[in-house]
Order: sequence, then C-alpha cells, then structure tokens
Amino acid sequence: MSDKKHNEVTRRQFLNYTLMGVGGFMGAAVLAPMVGFAIDPLLKGEKESDFVYIMDVDEITNEPQRKTFVIDQVDGWYESQVERTAWIYKNNNGDILALSPVCTHLGCTVDWNSNADFPNEFFCPCHFGRFDSNGVNIAGTPPTEPLHQYEYQITDGKLYLSGKSNPREEA
Amino acid sequence: MKWRTNDIKQYVQAKEYIDTALIPLIPFSLSNDQQIKELVFQKELMDVYVNHIEQQLKGRIFLLPEYYYLKDDKINEELTKLNRFTKHVHNQPFKYTFLITFDREWRKVIKELDDVELLWIPSMKEGDLSQKETQKMIQSQVKEIEQLIMDSWN
Repeated sequence: MSDKKHNEVTRRQFLNYTLMGVGGFMGAAVLAPMVGFAIDPLLKGEKESDFVYIMDVDEITNEPQRKTFVIDQVDGWYESQVERTAWIYKNNNGDILALSPVCTHLGCTVDWNSNADFPNEFFCPCHFGRFDSNGVNIAGTPPTEPLHQYEYQITDGKLYLSGKSNPREEA
Repeated sequence: MKWRTNDIKQYVQAKEYIDTALIPLIPFSLSNDQQIKELVFQKELMDVYVNHIEQQLKGRIFLLPEYYYLKDDKINEELTKLNRFTKHVHNQPFKYTFLITFDREWRKVIKELDDVELLWIPSMKEGDLSQKETQKMIQSQVKEIEQLIMDSWN
C-alpha cells in the first residue's frame, strides 16, 4: 500500500493538479487579451508614416506652390487627423523640394513672396526671418537652419508626401 | 506657444521673442437650455480660431489659459478682476495683449480695459464646424485677425 502511494497520484492530488491546470488556463485566457489591449500601442511601435498623393510631377513648377494635405497622426492611444502644408517646387538644378512652412526659429508659419521688400523669398511675419529661394536661412535673420524637407516618393509620375519633415544639409 | 509642457520649455528660453499674449474670454452659464447650446458652440468655435492663430504665429504669440466668467453676471463686476489679470500679463512683460471674444458685452466697457486690445468677433449662433463652407469662412476670418495682430507689430 505505502509503496503504491509513492508512485501513484492520489485522488486528492489528481483533483488539485487538474483544478490548478484548468483554473490557470482560464485565468490566462481572461488576462491575456486585457494585457495585450493595454500595451497595444507599445507593441505597434512607431507607425510607418503613410504617403499621401499631392500632385502630378509635371504640375510642379519653379514657382513654389502651396499644398495642404491631411495625415493620420498617432500619438500613443490617441489618433487624430492633422493638416499639413508644403511648399512644392523645382529648384534651378531640377531637384524637387517639398518644404515645411514651419520657421526654424520659433515655429511660426512662413509664406512665399509675401513681403514686397523681399521678393522670391520665404518670409516669417513673426520676427522677420527670411529664407532664400532654396529654403536656406539668410544670415542676419533669426532662423538658424534651412526649412525642413518633407519625405517624398514619386511613383508613376505622381508625387506623394509623408507627414514627416526632416532637417536638411546646409546647401 | 500654448499653455502646455512642450511649449513652455521653449517659451522660457525664448521669452524676449514672445511679446504678444492672446487671452480668450469665455462666458458660461447653465441656466437656459437654448443658451447652453449657443455658449458651448461658441466656445468650440473660439478654440478653432485661437488654435489657428497660434499655429500661424506660434513664435511670437502666447495663447494663455481662457478667462471664464458667468454669462449672467454684470460685466462691470468682471472688469476689476480681468484688469488685474491683464496687468499681471503686461508686467512680464508682454508688449501686446489681445483679448478675443464673441461676447459683445465687452465692447461696452472697452474704454475701461487697461493696456489691451479687444478683438470682438461677430459669431455664429450655431453651425456645423465640419462643413467645408464653415471652415472656409473661419479661415478667411482668421486671416483677417492675424493681419490685424501683425499690423500692430509693425
């Protein structure tokens, strides 16, 4: 009898193990989706920015054109639609520029050719910051770097922009 | 600049460039159901206006927390408090202080407001902010207000 007890599982132990196993499984089944849901935004990481169609490449002129587009912005748990503006044109080398209008000084919105004293420049109304026709900041005005450039893609002659703009190399 | 952590860091470092304060004056009241709807709509509309203005002129304008008051109160009773509030702002120093409101009551006491400019905008009573025409109208009005602010800088 006593030998048998060592090798065999008693009824009590068997019930214990089974209940623990089944109970644990049920608990996990309830908790796992909750945990997954709670940390979901972390698991996704930074969302790849989507590219939005802006215009056909052959519509791009040497004169900057102002284009607005809407992107989905994901901010942790919160998703919203934001409007972005870009100045789009070809410079003298034929490179396509899609510049952010956000002044690199303190973030006001610059405008092209808006000040009669400074033709063919981007002008910031706040502290009179100026950028030349390549979007490069003009020395002696407050901005410290060129206007930022949007990430862009060209597919089948169509220009797509992402909502993300990056600093540029000094031209 | 807005009243939030990210902007404040920048503000503290660049105070000398940010010389213009913008303060929305927001009336509220819960006593009349029809009025509640109007007041809530106008508050939402005001958010759209000031957020646009702040975005365009971020580097020079500080959008301060709204000034709230009871719609049913006499505007004269608010004057003392508001003047103390704007005096504090003026002393920081802010060279220009703009109060922005849809409430025409403030126009009646415009002479008694110290060192500020009152931007009173005629408002819609109701409307749909998601409609294209409404957005267009708001945008053109916002442009006008921005121009007005920029004119005072020059």
